[in-house]
Amino acid sequence: MTCLCFLCVSRDYDELSSIMAVCIAVIAKENYPLYIRSVPTQNELKFHYTVHTSLDVVEEKISSVGKALADQRELYLGLLYPTEDYKVYGYVTNSKVKFVIVVDSSNTSLRDNEIRSMFRKLHNSFTDVMCNPFYIPGDPIQSKAFDSMVSAMMVQAC
Amino acid sequence: MESHEEKPIIYTMENKPIVTCAGDPALFAALYSALAQQLPREPMEWRRSYGRAPKMIHLEANFVQFKEDLLPKEGNKALLTFPFLHIFWTDCCDTEVYKASVKEDMLRWQTTLKHHGSQDWLIVVVESDAKKKNKTNLLPRTSIMDKIRNDFCNKQSDRCVSLADPLKESSRSQESWSSFLTKLRTLLLMSFTKNLGRFEDDMRTMREKRTEPGWSFCDYFMVQEELAFVFEMLQQYEDALVQYDELDALFTQYVLNFGAGDAANWLGSFCQPVRSWNGLVLRRPIDMEKRELIQRSEASLLDLRSYLFSRQCTLLIFLQRPWEVTQRALELLHNCVQELRLLEVSVLQGALDCWVFLSCLEVLHRIEGCCDRAQLEANCSHTVGLWTYATEKLKCLGDLCGLVSKNGPNSEDLNRTVDLLAGLGAERPETANSLQSPYKKLKEALSSVETFEKHYLELSHAAMEMYTAIGRMRSARLVGKSLAEFYMRKGDPQSADGFLQDSLKSYVAEGWSLQVTHTRRQVAECQKLLGQTEDYLQTCALLASDANLTDEERKHFCQEILNHANQSSQTESQGESVDQKVALSMAAFAQLRELRFQPASPTVHVGAALQLELRLCSLMPVAVRLEQLAVSVHFSLEQPGQRGSSLSTPQRRIPAQCAAPGGVSPEGAVLFPAISPAGGGPLGAGMGGAGAGAPAALELYEIQDRSPSDNTLNTTGVVCKNVHLLLRRQDSATSLDTPSAGGSGGSVTSGGAAAVAMEDSSQMLKTRDVTLLPGNNSIPFTAPSQKPGTYTLRQLSAMVGQVQFVLPHIYPTVQYEVYSQEPQLTIEPLTDNLLAGLPQKVKFTIVTGHYTVKKGDALQLSNTDSMPILHTNSCTARIVSSTGELVGESALSIHSSEKVTSISLPPTLPYHTLDFQLDVLCHIPASPARLETERLTNGEVRHRPKSRTRYNSGMASVDQKVSIDCPWSIYSTLISLTFYIPFKAKHSLLSAGKRKYIQVCLQNVSDTNFRLMDPSLTQRQQNSSLELDSLNPKEQQLVHSKQSVFCLWEVKWASEPPACLQFSFVASFAPTEPADAEFKPYCYDFQLERVSTLYCLRAEIQPADGEPQCRTGTLCGLDVSITRLTEPTDSERDDEESTESEGLRTTKLMYEVVDNSSNWAVCGKSTGVVSMPVVASATHRVLMEVMPLFAGHLPFPSIKLLKYLPHNVTPVIPPDTDSCLENDNLSLLDKGLEDQSDTASLRSRGSIHSLGSSDQPLPPASRGLPMPRLEPFSPGQVFNCSQGRQVLVLPATDDHILEVNAT
Amino acid sequence: MADEALFQFLHNEVIQYVYKSAENGEMENGRCITRLENMGFRVGQGLIERFTKDTARFKDELDIMKFICKDFWTSVFKKQIDNLRTNHQGIYVLQDNKFRLLNQLSAGKQYLEHAPKYLAFSCGLVRGGLSNLGVKSIVTAEVSVMPACKFQVMIQK
Repeated sequence: MTCLCFLCVSRDYDELSSIMAVCIAVIAKENYPLYIRSVPTQNELKFHYTVHTSLDVVEEKISSVGKALADQRELYLGLLYPTEDYKVYGYVTNSKVKFVIVVDSSNTSLRDNEIRSMFRKLHNSFTDVMCNPFYIPGDPIQSKAFDSMVSAMMVQAC
Repeated sequence: MESHEEKPIIYTMENKPIVTCAGDPALFAALYSALAQQLPREPMEWRRSYGRAPKMIHLEANFVQFKEDLLPKEGNKALLTFPFLHIFWTDCCDTEVYKASVKEDMLRWQTTLKHHGSQDWLIVVVESDAKKKNKTNLLPRTSIMDKIRNDFCNKQSDRCVSLADPLKESSRSQESWSSFLTKLRTLLLMSFTKNLGRFEDDMRTMREKRTEPGWSFCDYFMVQEELAFVFEMLQQYEDALVQYDELDALFTQYVLNFGAGDAANWLGSFCQPVRSWNGLVLRRPIDMEKRELIQRSEASLLDLRSYLFSRQCTLLIFLQRPWEVTQRALELLHNCVQELRLLEVSVLQGALDCWVFLSCLEVLHRIEGCCDRAQLEANCSHTVGLWTYATEKLKCLGDLCGLVSKNGPNSEDLNRTVDLLAGLGAERPETANSLQSPYKKLKEALSSVETFEKHYLELSHAAMEMYTAIGRMRSARLVGKSLAEFYMRKGDPQSADGFLQDSLKSYVAEGWSLQVTHTRRQVAECQKLLGQTEDYLQTCALLASDANLTDEERKHFCQEILNHANQSSQTESQGESVDQKVALSMAAFAQLRELRFQPASPTVHVGAALQLELRLCSLMPVAVRLEQLAVSVHFSLEQPGQRGSSLSTPQRRIPAQCAAPGGVSPEGAVLFPAISPAGGGPLGAGMGGAGAGAPAALELYEIQDRSPSDNTLNTTGVVCKNVHLLLRRQDSATSLDTPSAGGSGGSVTSGGAAAVAMEDSSQMLKTRDVTLLPGNNSIPFTAPSQKPGTYTLRQLSAMVGQVQFVLPHIYPTVQYEVYSQEPQLTIEPLTDNLLAGLPQKVKFTIVTGHYTVKKGDALQLSNTDSMPILHTNSCTARIVSSTGELVGESALSIHSSEKVTSISLPPTLPYHTLDFQLDVLCHIPASPARLETERLTNGEVRHRPKSRTRYNSGMASVDQKVSIDCPWSIYSTLISLTFYIPFKAKHSLLSAGKRKYIQVCLQNVSDTNFRLMDPSLTQRQQNSSLELDSLNPKEQQLVHSKQSVFCLWEVKWASEPPACLQFSFVASFAPTEPADAEFKPYCYDFQLERVSTLYCLRAEIQPADGEPQCRTGTLCGLDVSITRLTEPTDSERDDEESTESEGLRTTKLMYEVVDNSSNWAVCGKSTGVVSMPVVASATHRVLMEVMPLFAGHLPFPSIKLLKYLPHNVTPVIPPDTDSCLENDNLSLLDKGLEDQSDTASLRSRGSIHSLGSSDQPLPPASRGLPMPRLEPFSPGQVFNCSQGRQVLVLPATDDHILEVNAT
Repeated sequence: MADEALFQFLHNEVIQYVYKSAENGEMENGRCITRLENMGFRVGQGLIERFTKDTARFKDELDIMKFICKDFWTSVFKKQIDNLRTNHQGIYVLQDNKFRLLNQLSAGKQYLEHAPKYLAFSCGLVRGGLSNLGVKSIVTAEVSVMPACKFQVMIQK
């Protein structure tokens, strides 16, 4: 019965407009921001605070890895915490670099799978940055390619 | 029994599935209790439709008296009231009774059931022996069963069961019970499956219709909840929960769709404005009020949500998953807020906040209610979210109701408050008597400023504690920060300060610049209010240099600093003695980028000019004028011995400096790592991670491990040399970025400021009135260099009025050396060695060191006549500065008295070099002087050892000591120059019969070529008639290096010359170039004794008689004749060696024929003594026989003639045998003489004068007993005519000898 | 395969270049090894970022070392480390009995004196990789008979 119910639900989703991430951040293993970008319309500082605070949960999840089983040790950390207005998702690379995506709570079109794929995109793009000879590991990310990829994730289509 | 009938059905957990009982009530009543408790004992597996997992369930039932109206009417979907099974009880055991009554009842019962289309029935026949006893005509029990079976249950015989002696404790009754119960359970389950299945199907079809108009969510809700209830009733909470979750999802979906535009008409009721916001209610299992609202389709969105959640909550708690409740609660609350927004439901401002606040607390209380402390603490990661949410909401309410402002709420605030409270309605009964209910909390909080603060603080601290407890420090700080903001608005900076500092520190540490900036501004505000001037200014500096701020803002903060600087200076000028001096860390104000030394090498002599250029990068947005910029210098005296007066030694200090990272480069520059004042730490760490910029970089090297035995490689590899450094890198790194730490906030800076307080060191580099423009500035300094020692730059400080920016330590260490040097004079030859006898150039070098050569200073050279200083009036001195460029030249004036030569020096500055050249001439020491000394010192000539030491250079040398008085010292310096004598002379006496010749051999031992002119030989004492006529060429001759010239003189005399003759040879020489070089004399003195010839010796060899020639192996005659040539000299006359006999004076001679080349065999005696009359031309002949041993031209055997002294005669001092070199055959004579001559020759060798020897050891013969002695004649006294003659010897006739000869 | 050959050739050329430039006095000879190692470090950082893109998060240090020995080694040197040993106090010894970069050099002691320069880069690779995984370390190497060699990893606590 459950399955049935969700079938119909997902059908209803399709025609929804999609607002993508409102803030995307890359954070070094030492927890300082390598890259952080948010929707220009909203208060940048607020996002910085949100992202920074979310590191708490990220660390919590990472540290719990020891106990966790292999299948729970995936890089995607899932929903870090919801706030009234935002949902904050986390992802950590094996190099302990953290990605954080903040999504507007009103945005229901983005569910786990979409978020996952966004993180994958981020990770791939970040890897390219790392492999770029002009990038010094540990420096803030200036790569245009990375930037445009991120802004693609933040465009509002509706 | 009645009780069962009357019992009203209410929705409680006591609900059980209904089973009706018909037939004999008394019988059932007896069994009821047993049945009720037996039924649930055994679990039963429930297989279910839709592939859902089968479950074991314990069945219970609510047995009620059968009534027709219990049976559901058409279309009544109610499940809870639905009787799932109907049982007919009977214990009749005889057919009569059965036929009579029981059958009727059953029929009636059956028909009603059929009429309502219910097949779930069962007939139970109870048997008891008791009844049988008093019965007579008995039928077998089975018959009754059979009757019933074929009367009612056609082809479903299993619907009739028997129960034997249920009230007995017999095994029989036991098993009959269990079989009965199993049957009962099976039938119940069958009924469930059937009926629930049917119900679900209906429900589904109903849901499918949801897109149709007129479909009501509420109705559907009721239906599905019915199902949920049943599951709950069957204790299938999981399934029950699923029902609610589905409803939840469905509703959410609808709201979203609505938001997306397709209006679902039924949503209307939920869109109605929110009128009450009295939070969730979780204390009741079922909130009937809300349920009814829903039933009546009057529920608001909040009502629905609340009800839904309360049900979920209940179920979750049954499922022992309280934490899921908290989790879901947070989602729910967020979600509701979103949905209300989405549906644009009109809500009174703040109403939602109330609702959320209440709900949060409600959930928290509910959870606390159902689990103990330990569990709570273990899981506060779940609950903390709710706490903070509640806190936030309360804060919003506070703001809204003007409870946060300094001056309480105003009227409209109060109105708002009233409205909000109105929306809460009355407190619910179940919490009414609890003191800490959310309801009460909220009311209280909104009632007054104080109470609000109380509650707000309570909540905030709770949240912070929980966060810290689970190590979510950032979140805790964030709460702290909002708390600080609260305090600030309440005008209580004191309390705010701590929180702000704390979070600021963490942001700096983690390098989140935006937060840093934001928080720092708050800190600044706070510090300003607190009047922490120093910290405030420090913060201002940081903000003024903060790129995240706009120029205006930065300028403003910069101005703040300047204002303070000026204002306080004014107050001082007004005479108020408030010392406003403030020391701040420079890191935020400006950064030291580079230090450059001019000249490049940071090692200078005392008093030298050393420029120091400072590259300072100002971080201020505007130009800042500094009263003074100063670098404090630590001075450490140079340890003696660490650096002599030599220039080279200081250099070895510099590598030591370079060892420090960023040491002085060859260009004399020291670079400083740039650190960003705001987020320096972590960025540095980032660099560290990247391996660059790390304090200690990995140093790897190749190693080759060779086997000790044979040098083959065992292993090679890569090793790390500085492991120790790398392993303790972390702490060293932290020590590195102290400046940025200093900038990281008030508290730290104040700590830093203590260290910052300028150490007032004696030495200071200062410049006044510097204007620092934004960006790079370069400021020149002159470094002090008065005292010798090491100067280390310690601190950098900039004064702006009363404000002083200090760089507490300059790292990497920068230091420069100042050395002092003693003045010194050196004299060295220009050529590699000086030659005596010629004017030679020597170079005087004066390194002035710290001494200043004043006008009139002069060098005083004490003259020695052996080495005069030659005046060349054209003598100029060069003055060269320490850096090596020519400063000046000036002519030297040289005056010399007989004692001293004084050279007056031109004035010269310290640390300059003064040099000039002088000609000196060293006379070749004259021999006579030496001869006398020789006698005195028993032949040990002073300079001989030196000449020995110089022997290898092939030249004799003379050391000349010059003592010089220098103006800078009272002691006179003694300098010795070594001169080499370019020539070596030897003489020899040659005789031909009575004629005599003197030969002098002059050897040029130097490396230079010379011209030689008019060599002359003169006798020293002009007494005799001796004449020397030269056989030498008149013109100059060249003597090339290492070549010799021979000069020859014939000596003639009229009268008898004295026994001892002294000669001196003089030749003038000059170097070949320059051609005009003047000739200098070279003289060589020597003496000869007993030059005249006494005896002539002649030998003849005759072949054997009748032989034309000598032949080998045959005896030949050797005829030796000794002839006296001169009359006895008066010296000889009173000579003891002659003896007087009958008037004729004779002297004894001994001859000896020796043949050392063993050409001859002397036959007979080869020696003999003859007595010779001492008269001219007295002759003595000796014949003897010799035999040639070889053929060919054989030299004559040599013949010696010696004085033969009888034993009584005392020996005279024997003659000097220096000239023995001339005929060394003498040395072959006997041992004594041999070594004597040897020593002589040895001495003469290497000495300047070949007359080297003096004391001769007495011939060994003379030692011991007196006995006859032999004494040689002095050279030239015996002339051997046949010296070197040869005689032809033919070989003997035999061939084989001939062959021998051939060799 | 061309690509692996390419890496080897390039690696050789890099070494050539570095030592040449040292001879030409562009830097003192001792630094060559360090310089090569630093190159390796940067490459290692990039590589590990790629290689770990699709792997699960690591449990612990040992987990990481295993990854280095298996996946990392395989993708760089086309074989696994033959033996990994540790004292459980942060020292690991990785033994490769047929190290690809030495394989062409010699089989035995010939050219042994040149071996280190052919290991420096790899040391850097490992250190870079580890550091990017958040493990600070010092990596050294040792060869006694080529093409076998040992790498020692010393973890900085």
